[in-house]
Amino acid sequence: MVYETLLEDESEKNGIKDISIRVVKWIGKNLRFLFIPASRLEELTIREIEYEMTRSKRKFIRRFKSVLTILGILLVFLMATLAIFPHWISPYTLQQALGVYTDAWGAPDALHPFGKTKFGRDVLARVIFGARTSLTVALPAIAMSVVFGVMIGVIAAYYGGWIDAVIMRIIDVFMAFPSLVLALVFVVVFSEAFGSDSTINYIMLAWGILGIPYYSRLIRGSVLQARELPYIQAARVSGAGNSRIMFKHILPNIIQPIIISMTFDIGGVILGLSGLAFLGYSDYRMIDWGNEISEGRNYFDIAPWASLWPGFFILLAVLGFMLLGDGLRDALDPRLKNL
Amino acid sequence: MSLSKYIIRRLLIAIPVIFGVMTLTFILSRFMPGDPVLAYMREGRFDQDYYNQIYHQLGLDEPLIVQYFKYLGDILVGNWGYSQSIYKGMPVWNLIMLKLPRTADLAIFSMVIAAVLGIKAGIISATHRNKPRDTFLRGLSLIGVAVPVFFLGMLLQYTLAIANDFFPATGFKTEYYEDPPFVTGFRLIDSILSGQLYMFTDYLYHLILPVFCLSFISLAGIVRQTRSSMLEILEQDYIRTARAKGCKEKDVINVHAKKNAMIPTVTVIGLGFGGLLTGAVLTETTFGLAGLGQLLIDSITNSDYWVLNGLVFFFALVFIAVNLITDVVYGILDPRIRY
Repeated sequence: MVYETLLEDESEKNGIKDISIRVVKWIGKNLRFLFIPASRLEELTIREIEYEMTRSKRKFIRRFKSVLTILGILLVFLMATLAIFPHWISPYTLQQALGVYTDAWGAPDALHPFGKTKFGRDVLARVIFGARTSLTVALPAIAMSVVFGVMIGVIAAYYGGWIDAVIMRIIDVFMAFPSLVLALVFVVVFSEAFGSDSTINYIMLAWGILGIPYYSRLIRGSVLQARELPYIQAARVSGAGNSRIMFKHILPNIIQPIIISMTFDIGGVILGLSGLAFLGYSDYRMIDWGNEISEGRNYFDIAPWASLWPGFFILLAVLGFMLLGDGLRDALDPRLKNL
Repeated sequence: MSLSKYIIRRLLIAIPVIFGVMTLTFILSRFMPGDPVLAYMREGRFDQDYYNQIYHQLGLDEPLIVQYFKYLGDILVGNWGYSQSIYKGMPVWNLIMLKLPRTADLAIFSMVIAAVLGIKAGIISATHRNKPRDTFLRGLSLIGVAVPVFFLGMLLQYTLAIANDFFPATGFKTEYYEDPPFVTGFRLIDSILSGQLYMFTDYLYHLILPVFCLSFISLAGIVRQTRSSMLEILEQDYIRTARAKGCKEKDVINVHAKKNAMIPTVTVIGLGFGGLLTGAVLTETTFGLAGLGQLLIDSITNSDYWVLNGLVFFFALVFIAVNLITDVVYGILDPRIRY
């Protein structure tokens, strides 16, 4: 009896492991398909594949090589480093950055190169720890809107008819609101419905929900074009089911614009997050750039550093993602190939 | 299909969206925190009988479906409820109309300036592709989209208004000036009508900084779209023909290319209006312009949920109207789209 349950547990664990490995492999395969155009041409000789790969890679990299794009990559890399290894980079620990000290709004000196905030905390340390907050809100929110948006959009466009009509009208309704206004209302409503303990999660959820209609509409147009193509008919003739055609044949071929606008939107969510924080909707227990600005802005004349540096880092982070998105668009967009 | 038929079809498409928006605001209003009954009877001692009386009076004891249709009817008739805490007893519709001119001035000025400058910059950067001028203009417009608007406003406020006194820091008029006699509610028009030109210039003077911020952030999308559609059009055969028959380069760009390049740009300008409204909320808060954005924030902080509900609905209506106008302009510019 005990032995059997043990076995069952093991097989369950293995199943979960298998799924995670398969998900990683699927993502890897699709990324390879996107970035190395020759990766699926299996009937070529080794030499041809080698040629094809160097050529296409060179082409891709050549299109990627503009001053602004490289700057964007460097900025995104910087922000990711700050978000992943803040404890190694920051001169003070998280506890110290959250402590309360004398010398509020202290001027920059050798020990505190960016100056001090209210409660005498080090601005440099808080700016570094803030990167993690921004990215941990922006990335899940975008992941949520992309996953659900793409699913809804593909289903709407693939089936067409009344399903499409209903989904598109709902999407129209959501897109009729300015995003910040609806995000504000969502955060207020969620806090009322589920308790106001984790505002930051509601903000994440609000931005995630607000992105869904945008991605659905974006992918719908591409699906409408792609589903009429001969290779879809070929797939159907060979016996593929609807979901297989949708997510295995159509989706990988039209996901490029989604990846591009995803890069832009990470920047957009970081901006939106700081905007909400500026209006006073944020979790004050977290270190967040927007919070820092809204805290320091009334003392701008005596301590400009306390709000200048966080603002500057918001600018850098958003600019990095926008530049990267611009570069990706130039490199991937087939219409700009000849330009 | 004639243009009038096209416009009528667009109007009919907008109707279900407006109903959807009403439904969504109804659902959200049921989840808003705060008890509407308590807000009505804020003064005096709590009295259960009085509470029940108002509860009945507001129709909260009726089934939800009845409440829903009552809500729809009320909104269609123009009865948007009454303010409960900010301007106690004032109808929400009147309140919105009172605050609208300030936001409208801000948004319209910014949109016009951003459109004019953005189209100009886009054409320049397309004709000087990959030259330093192009890189500079694209970089500048990307900084515009990446900088948080309140941060930019704060910087300008401090450098140009507080430290150097070139511009007024907050507000929309010099303090001791009075309001012009009420005709339209728009300060610019009213001051001209009453012949008090010093008010006109004073108001413009106060608008410079906010309008600069708001137009700067909406510049990037217009520049990018103009640039890419210009690039596409400059490759066309009829441009080569124009050049071959000896047109001046200036005429080729301004006469032959520009008009066709404008078509997608119009859409971007129209869709950017939503971002402009979002930006207006933040800009108004930064510069203390008492417009709709400020009212929105006030209504949330004072839990005045009828005002909030009305505002959200109003924003959506404006957005739908702007989209409608964009579609119509698009149809006028590009006759192909009507068929």
